[in-house]
Amino acid sequence: MTDHSDDFRRLADLLVGFGSNIQPGDVLGVSSYLGMEELTRAIARAGYQRGAKWVDILWFDPFVKRERLLHADESTLDYVPPWMGQRALWLSEAHAARVSLTGADPRAYEGLDPARTGKDVMPYIKEVPVIVNDRTTSWCAGPCPTEGWAQLVHPTLSPDEAYEKLWEQITWVCRLDTDDPIGAWEERMKVIVDSAERLTAHRFDAIHLKARNGTDLTVGLLPSSKWLGAEFTTVDGRTHYPNLPTEEVFTTPDPERVDGTVVATMPLDFYGSRIEGIRLRFEGGRAVEIDADKGADSLRSIASKDDGANRLGELALVDRQGRIGPLKTIFYETLLDENAASHIALGNAYSFPVEDEADVARINQSGIHVDFMIGTDEMEVDGIAKDGTRTPLLRGGEWQL
Amino acid sequence: MAALTAAQRFAELVVEVGANVQEGQDVLILADLGTEEAVREVAGAAYRRGARHVHVWWWDSLTKRERLLHARPETLDYVPPELGSTFERLGAEGGCFIWVIGNPHPEALAGIEPERAGRDLLPKVKESNKVIQAQTMNWSIVSWPTEGWARQVFPSLAPADALERLRRELAHVCRLDESSAADAWRSRIAELEAAAERLTARRFDAVRFTGPGTDLTVGLFPSSTWQTGYFERLDGLKSLVNIPTEEVFTTPDPARADGVVRATKPLEVGGSLIDGIVVRFEGGRAVQIDANANADVLRAIAAKDDGAARLGEVALVDGSGRIDALGTVFWNTLLDENAASHVALGSSYDFVVEDASDRSQANQSRIHVDFMIGSKDVDVDGVTADGEQIPVLRGGAWQI
Repeated sequence: MTDHSDDFRRLADLLVGFGSNIQPGDVLGVSSYLGMEELTRAIARAGYQRGAKWVDILWFDPFVKRERLLHADESTLDYVPPWMGQRALWLSEAHAARVSLTGADPRAYEGLDPARTGKDVMPYIKEVPVIVNDRTTSWCAGPCPTEGWAQLVHPTLSPDEAYEKLWEQITWVCRLDTDDPIGAWEERMKVIVDSAERLTAHRFDAIHLKARNGTDLTVGLLPSSKWLGAEFTTVDGRTHYPNLPTEEVFTTPDPERVDGTVVATMPLDFYGSRIEGIRLRFEGGRAVEIDADKGADSLRSIASKDDGANRLGELALVDRQGRIGPLKTIFYETLLDENAASHIALGNAYSFPVEDEADVARINQSGIHVDFMIGTDEMEVDGIAKDGTRTPLLRGGEWQL
Repeated sequence: MAALTAAQRFAELVVEVGANVQEGQDVLILADLGTEEAVREVAGAAYRRGARHVHVWWWDSLTKRERLLHARPETLDYVPPELGSTFERLGAEGGCFIWVIGNPHPEALAGIEPERAGRDLLPKVKESNKVIQAQTMNWSIVSWPTEGWARQVFPSLAPADALERLRRELAHVCRLDESSAADAWRSRIAELEAAAERLTARRFDAVRFTGPGTDLTVGLFPSSTWQTGYFERLDGLKSLVNIPTEEVFTTPDPARADGVVRATKPLEVGGSLIDGIVVRFEGGRAVQIDANANADVLRAIAAKDDGAARLGEVALVDGSGRIDALGTVFWNTLLDENAASHVALGSSYDFVVEDASDRSQANQSRIHVDFMIGSKDVDVDGVTADGEQIPVLRGGAWQI
């Protein structure tokens, strides 16, 4: 098998040095999984080399979780031991840098009863969104190629080939194919952040998306909706990149003003059921018709979960420079899949892209958040001002602003 | 029904006889990466016994190596609060602790300056000692074979043969080669408890070790009692805190240890191997520490705090135990300390001292490092209050 130690080192340097933007004296919190030992050790090294006071690794073993889901009393499955939350709050108080890895072995949960699995959502804990909202930590989520994940993404290849193929793709989408990945990302972030700022400055009333596949959708925005790229700043004024890779600029739409038809350009995988050829028709913000070539019933059941489940919580635009979409691969990891192309999400909205309190009160609320890809290179995206004036935003996948 | 795997039989022994996991308990497993096969079975067995939650705190000595190689020197004493507060919570809630040692990377700290290595004692934290003293947690420390460890123990064997030999020897010393390991342990515990009772009844003033390079007298408190590894919580719940265990031990008077002692086995501390230890005590304090290799590591540990250079434990192991008979050096204190009589620098179990006034004098430290001083060539005598010396161990056999 190929030696990837150099790749792991370069990925660790990117996530720690650029993504979390660690500074001397920081605690570095790492969320890792068994199966990611080599990257995790490289991350520890990268942290200590940059002056970390302590690299705190939470190793999560999906196969120990499997034992719980198989054998524990059902009434205990939603119990979360308090120290997991305390650790998150401690990292917040310490204003730590954090790196979270994705790509855990999905085979750990094969054949388990979904009713039981749904009760134990660890390693997710409720304190994490709280500390994200508090902006106390400088954090970065990034992918770690593992054999289990590779076999899920490339089931027709041999395990070795699948792993090598996944590494090749991760190298590409993380821009590790260049001698200077941090320089490449700085350049890319400039495009993303500048686009977001220009979009915000226009204060568009709505966005219109039109493509040859039948998409003709107008998404209303709130008066104080602003556009963000994945460049965040902590309360201490430190810049960090919460997702690597990242390609999107996104905003929170008006859940009452979405009209027209949208056709998904990639299949959606939702907890193991694949939904293909999705077509939605919106009226007054609500998805009134939900169709799909395959799995339409699953999608309808997702969209009827609660009141907000068939309204939009996010609109995101990705230009042609994005590297994920052209791979035409479903990674089964939101971190990668949601950056493949322009997308919308049914369900819950983020409040931080909305500036006025009155608008925040109107954003969509739901127990679900399901992204699906709707972008194509030829899609025409326009911004519509309050007076109806149209401004081209994307043509042939290039920013026009 | 398919026969249980070795890992499943190990797991059953650990949760039933060792940690004695109770329904509704939270269980913390501290485990070396590389012991997944066993740890996942232990987790499953604990859940089947009704554990509310099993949290595995995986430990990676190679990450520790990265710290010791690259971290700034002034940060090496920093201990993150979470492991300590987890122990405190386990103590407060009557939880359970299991430590699975696999020593998968014996050379993890190779080439690290001993002074640096001695400053980072993780995954040991002072709170675990505190909770053990408070007797509110049931716990057990156990070992599981890994390839790296097997290479270290049997360097002349091919890797697969070394692992197979280590598996076999560990199964033997853990009595997993008996038809009922649980029953085998119950009868061994009964033997050890009987020896401890006889020793306690003598109320020796001191114990004296004499042998090649060794003449050490360790003073005891008037109310020091001898105990086995079958501990009892304040509420009566029992756990066998080491598997395997072959020792009876007590807490000595930290102000009364005098003479010279030569270790009879090498010692592994936090990844450093210390061989050929010779320690001279005066008035209870280790005033001179030498070794053939890595003496600095032991010196750095003994300088950690006031109690780190004084004795917190003296333990006797008779020749009927299974570990010494193998003649194997496991480079693992849990096993090697049960091969031979030993003493420990650092913290003591003060609950084995009956009177409050004696107990208040028991040694305190954030460290506890056992080293082996016994062998068939080392005589052990009990010294009575009027100076009479009574043979306790001769050629490894009990004399009392």
